[in-house]
Amino acid sequence: MNVTATEIDLGLGVLDHQLVDREGRNCGNVDDLELVGLDADEPEVAEILCGGNAWRSRGFFGRLAAALSGNATHVPWSEVAEVSSVVRLKRTEPELRLGRGDDRAAKLIDWIPGS
Amino acid sequence: MKQFLQIALGILSAIGGFVDIGDLVFNTQAGATFGFELMWVVVIGVVGIIVYSEMCGRVAAISKRPVFDLVRERVGFSAGLGTLIASEIVNLLTCAAEVGGIAIALQLLSGLPYRYLIVLAVVGLLVLSWTLPFVWIERLFGYVGLCLLVLVVAAIKTHPSWGHVAHGFVPSVPSGNRLVYFYFVVGLLGAALTPYEVYFYSSGAVEDRWSAKDLRMNKVTAIIGYSLGALLSFALMVIAAQIFLPKGIDPQFLGTPALGVEAVLGRIGLILAIVGILFAVGGAAIETSFSGAYNLAQFFGWQWGKKERPSKAPRFALSWIAIFILAALIVMTGYDPVKITEYSVIFSVVALPLTFLPILLVANDPVYMGRYRNSRLSNVLGIAYFVLILAIAASAIPLMILTNGGKG
Repeated sequence: MNVTATEIDLGLGVLDHQLVDREGRNCGNVDDLELVGLDADEPEVAEILCGGNAWRSRGFFGRLAAALSGNATHVPWSEVAEVSSVVRLKRTEPELRLGRGDDRAAKLIDWIPGS
Repeated sequence: MKQFLQIALGILSAIGGFVDIGDLVFNTQAGATFGFELMWVVVIGVVGIIVYSEMCGRVAAISKRPVFDLVRERVGFSAGLGTLIASEIVNLLTCAAEVGGIAIALQLLSGLPYRYLIVLAVVGLLVLSWTLPFVWIERLFGYVGLCLLVLVVAAIKTHPSWGHVAHGFVPSVPSGNRLVYFYFVVGLLGAALTPYEVYFYSSGAVEDRWSAKDLRMNKVTAIIGYSLGALLSFALMVIAAQIFLPKGIDPQFLGTPALGVEAVLGRIGLILAIVGILFAVGGAAIETSFSGAYNLAQFFGWQWGKKERPSKAPRFALSWIAIFILAALIVMTGYDPVKITEYSVIFSVVALPLTFLPILLVANDPVYMGRYRNSRLSNVLGIAYFVLILAIAASAIPLMILTNGGKG
């Protein structure tokens, strides 16, 4: 199902929801949304922002967390396959450059037998 | 038949896993200070954990959403991050106290130095958590934890005046310092309504792919398991009231409840009590470290799950490993695990409202829950407990300061 911004409440139905890639892996949260067309009174969601400085607009703790983090990952809204209780994406985590933290963490535990 | 067996096994492990270090410390101290007067608080606490466990299990089964996922969605990023930080501090302190508790129990059994046993405890926990699936961890710690039923036998053998015990189930004017009395009210409620149990329970339900057909098991396990587990809390209080209160003993040592059992049942009772404590706090240590990892992963949207190979959910795996190691470092400082327990229980009370509110909200959401949303009874109890939780959250830290941690 293709989803357009007019069909859902962005604040309640998208923001802070789990991102799930094509293979069913959790790959972050919707931390912020990039809107375009606000001046023309035709707002449209352009991108999902995930992690890092996407938190800077999210209150005191968000600003603090953003200051300690890197850049957000930008996922074009056209990559969204479905919005339900989670936001499903059309491609896999590596293709969208999400889940880089998992790659770094995996290096730390890959040497342990049974990992 | 299969489902009956599953429910029976669930109940057994709920009884064995009911008591953690918070219950051991607060129930024993409350009994040694106020006799049977605070029995009623245990009843209120147990009904509360039954109400919210059933609710979060149902929410997990129907919405497929664990608690911390809902915390963020319902209270927003900033308040959610504040709750996450508070919960992680409480989880870490609780895990540290449980690791210290394991080391003390091992020391009572072996006589080896405490610090070596902390290392042994944390290495054992890491190896078991890494190698065993949850179902085996639950069975091992839950079933061996049933050794704690020796507390019930010992409590009966102290021959308490059952009339006085029954009186304790009705709130009355405290016989001693009122502030200390209310400190113990808050502590006993905090020990019963631990947030980590809720995080762990709901995440486990999502991992096990619960659905509507598991709701009956969820309800029966919560009601019967926790109710029978509460017998252990009553027993701790009775033993302390009968053995320690008359002699003016202040139970400042984790092994004190086991010594109370020894006074009544001799050496066999002592060993069973220590083994029971060892496995009860061991199971709780694993639950707290995994709760911490679940919370982090769910808040930030990482891949999580004990059923995943660690390399498939590496940030989740690193989180629980880090919590175990940090917990061991905290107790290695030599800080008394009983004091750490008191702080962790009191601070956990402060984190409770923002943990329970999202569960209550989603359990009433027809979009997520459909016909499985809260009944009127669940809502009356859920809201009443939420108001109670707000009151104890507001009073917890002032009471701890004013009473010098219950010393008066």
